[in-house]
Amino acid sequence: MVALSVASRTRSVTETSASSSGERPLAWFDLEDENRLRVGGVWRLAQVGLLSRRLERAGLSGRAVHEIDASALTALDSAGAQLLIRAVPSPDAITGVDKRYRGLLRRVADAETAATDQPRPRRPGGAGAQLALIGWRTVGVGIRTWELLGFFGLCIVAIAGVIIRPWTLDGRATFHHLQAAGLNALPIIGLLAFLIGVVVAFMGALQLQKFSAGIYTVDMVGIAMLRELGVLFAAIMVAGRSGSAFTAQIGTMSLNEEVDAMRTIGLDPVAVLATPRIVALVIALPLLTVYADLVGLAGGAVVSLALLDIGIPLFLERLSSAVDTTAFLIGMAKAPFFAAAIAIIGCFEGFKVTGSAASVGRRTTTSVVEAIFAVILIDAAFAMALSWLNI
Amino acid sequence: MTRKAKKAARPEPAVTVRGLENRFGANLLHDGLDLEVLPGEVLGVVGSSGSGKTVLMRSIIGLNRPRTGEVSVLGENLSALQGRQRKALLARIGVLFQNGALFSGLTVAENIALVLKLHTGLAPGPIDRLARQKIDMAGLPQDTAGKMPAQLSGGMRTRAGLARALALDPEIVFLDEPTAGLDPIGAADFDRLIRELQQSLGLTVFMVTHDLNSLVAIADRIAVLVDRKIRVGPLDELLNDPHPWIQAYFRGPRARAAHDAAGSGH
Repeated sequence: MVALSVASRTRSVTETSASSSGERPLAWFDLEDENRLRVGGVWRLAQVGLLSRRLERAGLSGRAVHEIDASALTALDSAGAQLLIRAVPSPDAITGVDKRYRGLLRRVADAETAATDQPRPRRPGGAGAQLALIGWRTVGVGIRTWELLGFFGLCIVAIAGVIIRPWTLDGRATFHHLQAAGLNALPIIGLLAFLIGVVVAFMGALQLQKFSAGIYTVDMVGIAMLRELGVLFAAIMVAGRSGSAFTAQIGTMSLNEEVDAMRTIGLDPVAVLATPRIVALVIALPLLTVYADLVGLAGGAVVSLALLDIGIPLFLERLSSAVDTTAFLIGMAKAPFFAAAIAIIGCFEGFKVTGSAASVGRRTTTSVVEAIFAVILIDAAFAMALSWLNI
Repeated sequence: MTRKAKKAARPEPAVTVRGLENRFGANLLHDGLDLEVLPGEVLGVVGSSGSGKTVLMRSIIGLNRPRTGEVSVLGENLSALQGRQRKALLARIGVLFQNGALFSGLTVAENIALVLKLHTGLAPGPIDRLARQKIDMAGLPQDTAGKMPAQLSGGMRTRAGLARALALDPEIVFLDEPTAGLDPIGAADFDRLIRELQQSLGLTVFMVTHDLNSLVAIADRIAVLVDRKIRVGPLDELLNDPHPWIQAYFRGPRARAAHDAAGSGH
């Protein structure tokens, strides 16, 4: 109580305002006796930070005051009102309030009751929650795989429908995606493949020269590009370019309820949205692979010429004797599988978008990661199967 | 219902629009439009679809630069201000966009807290308390505080948007079709909420709406956008306006129903 009587002096709370009354502070409070607080001036949001700190320092926060005389208030808003109400045990203890502010005070008091009545939901924390999270995630992976398989089935049905009745395929959409995913990807895939060819040839040349076997660089570039790298890098690029675009396009349409609208008018969204994309990619990726192979070999030829003095005619001659068509065909055989995986995952994640714009971003990321993962998984499966078959 | 707006001494208008002209391509939307919003009134703005109600609102709050004309809000020209002055004026204005326009990556409480953080130097504790107060004032249950906008229904999203618009205790709020997409009971609740807040917080309300019930229930004056200009007045006055669109609007079957409903309610 001693502390309170010490505090019972007018506290200048904010700088004296230029406009109003001169030497009086803009907002102030004054402890008249132990339980009665006089407040005055402008109690608005802009003053609330300072006021609440001062009140706390004076030990007056948290319902410590029995009565507040508010007759000297010149302005009050809901933030100031909240401060007053939180200082007293009950709103009735605030007296002398100007008629203008009575409604506000009552409304704020109601809001305060509602806010304190409701216990805060606690955020789950601790080791148990972490463990539960791991569990949920694990279950989640299982569920996703299951759903993806289901979607794969839907796509197979839709594609089979197109194969049986080719005229049902939306030609315009298919060509559009062929252009977007195939033609428009030529520059970037060309650049990438050329650089890969250069890098492979460069590394090969440096090592093989030590054994005076520089000419085998051609074998290395040829087999590596045609059998593995050409198709792999084309697929990774397509996953990043087109798989993500599929997810974002279909995801935005899901958000916009376009997908639901299709369902209500009897269109199958999988057939309308996924089929043209899958067909387009299955056509585009093998073509891109041929292109990437050629450009990659060109990269290798440039390095061979520059580093090993292997001329283009010699390069081509060596290439045709070292690499048979099997290597090329193996690379080409993978392309449609990669393409189907990328397109199906891209569309699947798009359909899974719900709620907000953030979900589109999240699904797009997942789509690219999963598509590249699937491509490498399929590649590994091919490698194992081929070595088992001794090809 | 038009008490405050009609005090003897004319108070300084909260919003003044003079000679506003807006054009989109060949389409002239506003042509020398004048409007005054008086402090403490609820002004309902109506007009046919595409007559430029939302554009008018966007011109006033500085989101649209008019081709010509002057707009002042609370005595200042928003689009001419910069830096701290602009921020100070923006703090005195609250805007509720259609469907709330909540930031989808933040919870409802965070949406409100963001505004408070941006404009005040308050600590997280008081900010959270004020956010919860605004949630209650907008008529939302407290457990919405931690929810994401995507988890809310349309009506709740509008209310959450209102809570965000009220975060800084603005002097004037702009509402863009707040009751669109609400069921009649929800819309009537919202009207009551606006009226109550307008009275307890002393707000000026600029409300773009199609909802005749809203207009009858809470608007002190109504501004009608016809022929690229504004005709403004209390409902009774507009009822006698001979303009065919105004007649069709206020004398149509839906208008009569709204009027009857309001009449029988008292």
